[in-house]
Amino acid sequence: MSAKTDRIDRLAELTAARADEGGHGLWYEAFKRLRRNPMAIAGAVIVLVFVLIAILARVLAPYEPDAQTWLGETSTATMTFPGARAGNLLGVDHLGRDMLSRLLIGSQQSLLVGVVATVLGFSAGALLGGVSGACLGLFGTAGRRVDAVLMRFNDMALAVPSLLLAVSVATLLGQSLITVMIAVGVTQVPVFARLLRGSMLAQSHSDYVMASTALGVRKSRIVLNHILPNSLGPVLVQVTLSLATAIIEAAGLSFLGLGGVDAAHPEWGFMLAESQQYLSGALRFAVYPATAIIVTALGFTLLGEALREALDPKLRK
Amino acid sequence: MNLLSVRDLKVHFPIRRGVLFDRVVGHVYAVDGVSLDVARGQTYGLVGESGCGKTTLGRALLRLVPITSGQVLFDGTDLAALSSEGMRKERRRLQMVFQDPMSSLDPRQNVESILSEGLATHNMIGDRKARRAHIRKTLDAVGLPSNALERYPHEFSGGQRQRIGIARALVLEPDVIIADEPVSALDVSVQAQVINLMEEIQEELSLTYVVIAHDLAVVRHISDVVGVMYLGGLVEEAPSDVLYVSPKHPYTKALMSAVPVPDPEVEESRERVLLRGDLPSPANPPAGCRFHTRCPWRQETRCDTERPELRVVGEGHKVACHWAEKIEAGEIGVREDAVVTG
Amino acid sequence: MALLEVEDLAVTFHRRGTEPVRAVDGVSFTVAEGQVVGLVGESGCGKSVTSLALMGLLAKRGVTVTGSARFEEADLLQMSPSSMRDMRGARMAMIFQDPLSSLNPVVPIGLQVTEVLQRHRELRGDKARAEAADLLDRVGIPDPTRRLKEYPHQLSGGMRQRALIAMAVACRPRLLIADEPTTALDVTIQAQILELLKDLVAEEGTALIMITHDLGVVAGLCDEINVMYAGRVVEAASRRPLFARPVHPYSVGLLASIPRLDAPRGEKLTPIPGSVRDNIAWADGCAFAPRCTHAVEACVEGPPELTRTYTGHAYRCVNPVSREEAEAVAAPAVLPTPSLTEATPSEEESS
Repeated sequence: MSAKTDRIDRLAELTAARADEGGHGLWYEAFKRLRRNPMAIAGAVIVLVFVLIAILARVLAPYEPDAQTWLGETSTATMTFPGARAGNLLGVDHLGRDMLSRLLIGSQQSLLVGVVATVLGFSAGALLGGVSGACLGLFGTAGRRVDAVLMRFNDMALAVPSLLLAVSVATLLGQSLITVMIAVGVTQVPVFARLLRGSMLAQSHSDYVMASTALGVRKSRIVLNHILPNSLGPVLVQVTLSLATAIIEAAGLSFLGLGGVDAAHPEWGFMLAESQQYLSGALRFAVYPATAIIVTALGFTLLGEALREALDPKLRK
Repeated sequence: MNLLSVRDLKVHFPIRRGVLFDRVVGHVYAVDGVSLDVARGQTYGLVGESGCGKTTLGRALLRLVPITSGQVLFDGTDLAALSSEGMRKERRRLQMVFQDPMSSLDPRQNVESILSEGLATHNMIGDRKARRAHIRKTLDAVGLPSNALERYPHEFSGGQRQRIGIARALVLEPDVIIADEPVSALDVSVQAQVINLMEEIQEELSLTYVVIAHDLAVVRHISDVVGVMYLGGLVEEAPSDVLYVSPKHPYTKALMSAVPVPDPEVEESRERVLLRGDLPSPANPPAGCRFHTRCPWRQETRCDTERPELRVVGEGHKVACHWAEKIEAGEIGVREDAVVTG
Repeated sequence: MALLEVEDLAVTFHRRGTEPVRAVDGVSFTVAEGQVVGLVGESGCGKSVTSLALMGLLAKRGVTVTGSARFEEADLLQMSPSSMRDMRGARMAMIFQDPLSSLNPVVPIGLQVTEVLQRHRELRGDKARAEAADLLDRVGIPDPTRRLKEYPHQLSGGMRQRALIAMAVACRPRLLIADEPTTALDVTIQAQILELLKDLVAEEGTALIMITHDLGVVAGLCDEINVMYAGRVVEAASRRPLFARPVHPYSVGLLASIPRLDAPRGEKLTPIPGSVRDNIAWADGCAFAPRCTHAVEACVEGPPELTRTYTGHAYRCVNPVSREEAEAVAAPAVLPTPSLTEATPSEEESS
């Protein structure tokens, strides 16, 4: 009898041990799913390389980005610019500066603008959306009114094309790096606000919120401890995706000449703008910064999409 | 005597429409004048089909939905008249078990956090060690191992999750537990585990239950008294066995005859009332008896115009039908095409 | 001659990064012309996957289907996708659990019905519409010509399921597979739908595979019943013998664990301990052994063989439940069923 039960227990344990280590929260499970997804790995590698390059740019760059060392070898009239060679791996630009150095240093600007603008957009948006969502959930009719007003304004902001909004902000505040950050950040605000509020609204209708209410938990605690943490998944995904958009938009603003760019701080979008006149002679002037923008944005997008999949409740067992 | 009494309870949900600000364009009469009494230590079962208002009624008992009018008397206090803070404090004594044990547990909380939340809210057992001991004792009472404490809801099976849901209610040592479809999300073989657990706990802690379910067999099994709801109102109330042996309301008869029994002999021989049509919308309920649109015993005019009161017809037996006695005596027959056999 | 003969059907799902899951693990059963066959079991027992495999509705990627399913001289599992499409809806049809998600929400009901008629019976225009109205009328949808123009969301749950049944029987299929057709419906509506299915089977001689978790539903409807557990049929018998003298501990356990509507108050339920998570792999022994109160040493020495008695009762168990025990579970004390057409006895007599 005991031999039988032992054997059954052992077999049952073997079966149960398949995936059940126990004591892991949802974030850990999501991370495990993320690790298994090749899309996430690819995205993470790109993002990591980009961040490392940006941090170590000054060390990695072989020359000063604004040193016009090889100006003598270039000629804009005949469209002759030295291409890739031992000293300059990606060649020399129209002012005789090392392309590789400029690209490497340019990553700093992109990272800075991307991160600061997204943080700005996220914090303002999350505040707005959070307040709106909390009002809706907490304060009955009056709360619904506050939410309605906030969200109508938000919808108006959302209706303005983001680049147009950024251009307006940039022209209003004048040209500087800060302007670009604010301009790009402002366009993200309504997106985050809408997202967090919608997510909170969905969570506030869930059964476990009613269960907490039935326990007698205070509404403010329910919002902070249950609704908010469970609403952050989609927002986190949006943060990652926003970094990609922010980098592209920042490049776009610089391209339009609205960035605070000087020669010592090259920026990918500005490099693209500069390349326009020489496209017939040196396509690579445009190809390098464009590739850098695309690959970086792709990295963040891949990571964001993979994160979305990993956090999808439908995929949970 | 009666721990919980409901007097003419109404819950009407406004239907809102509007572009900028919402306007009320109508009401859903989810619960429309229900009165019932639940004695201490008793199990009151509420049964009915979707849209009959049983879930709303259960939530209204805890004021989880706004009460339009009427009273919910719990141990002498009218819950409907309490301030929201007063109600919040009273919730310790009235707890709820939900239908879907997965969605009613916060996926980001582990079991310990789930069980201690209520204790913290009501400032019960401040000492950490004592609190932990209390939680372990509760876990043990619902048949979960104590290593469950650090685990998260998704790591349990459906039946175990419902045990967590029951433990969450139990940990506050309530007087009343309102269970809304406590087993309908579970597999058949697991349902009995949870039903038995609920019965054992009730016996041990002399709890009062209100059990809400669509499954008449489950409700009859667990309840002392069963109330049958249709379209926002109680149509019949009787002790569990009496309800099966002599149902008096036409809807109860139809409902009962529609529940399949796992026994071919019974299935082949018994009569079944087939109701025509569907449940009318609770936003626009029919005048008179709410059931008259589908009732195979319906009589001209009175059923369409006068809403029958719930009245006493026997020992603990109440029914809301004008013709209950005449139907019982065989004076009013059922429309013949509504009955099938086998 | 059997209409459908399923032999050793197995379905394995492969998912990146996880162990392959054998959802159906060697299922065999037959369906005769005009017969109603029940597949009963709890979630995860493989009953729905079995039906999807028969209909050829499983995804091609990440799924391995083995075994055979002979239907009218052809093997459904070997059929080309195009001949399978010709078969589906015409010779065999399926009714799903959730009528709302099985209907296209942006297309009127009428168009969805006439589409089937066009595809398989080459009916067009007014002819198709007349036939569609006829079909809706036959499945008990009142005012069918008006209903044809309505969209699925305008119909109630019961009406939607009727519309789906109308589409399924539009081409008078020889075999109908119903996957939990009444689970999403209220019990009075369920009674209507079951009655409709009974009538259709009786009138048309259509064979029906009824997939359900509800033992009550099969007790009133099915001729032959297969009880499934963890991807295998553990007991198969005709309706009456199965309920009168169940043999497999799982079948007995199920009957003992569900509250019966007609049971007197105070009867205790006997649950099956544990959950499907406790199962062991069939390769190691009986999957049900960890939860089984009748488990013996031999249960875990290897997969139990299917035993078939001379009466045709088949079970997969090395230590079946004794006659006395099974009969005690199968025939519990019950309350008298009240009559609906005659005067009911007064309360004093009954209590």
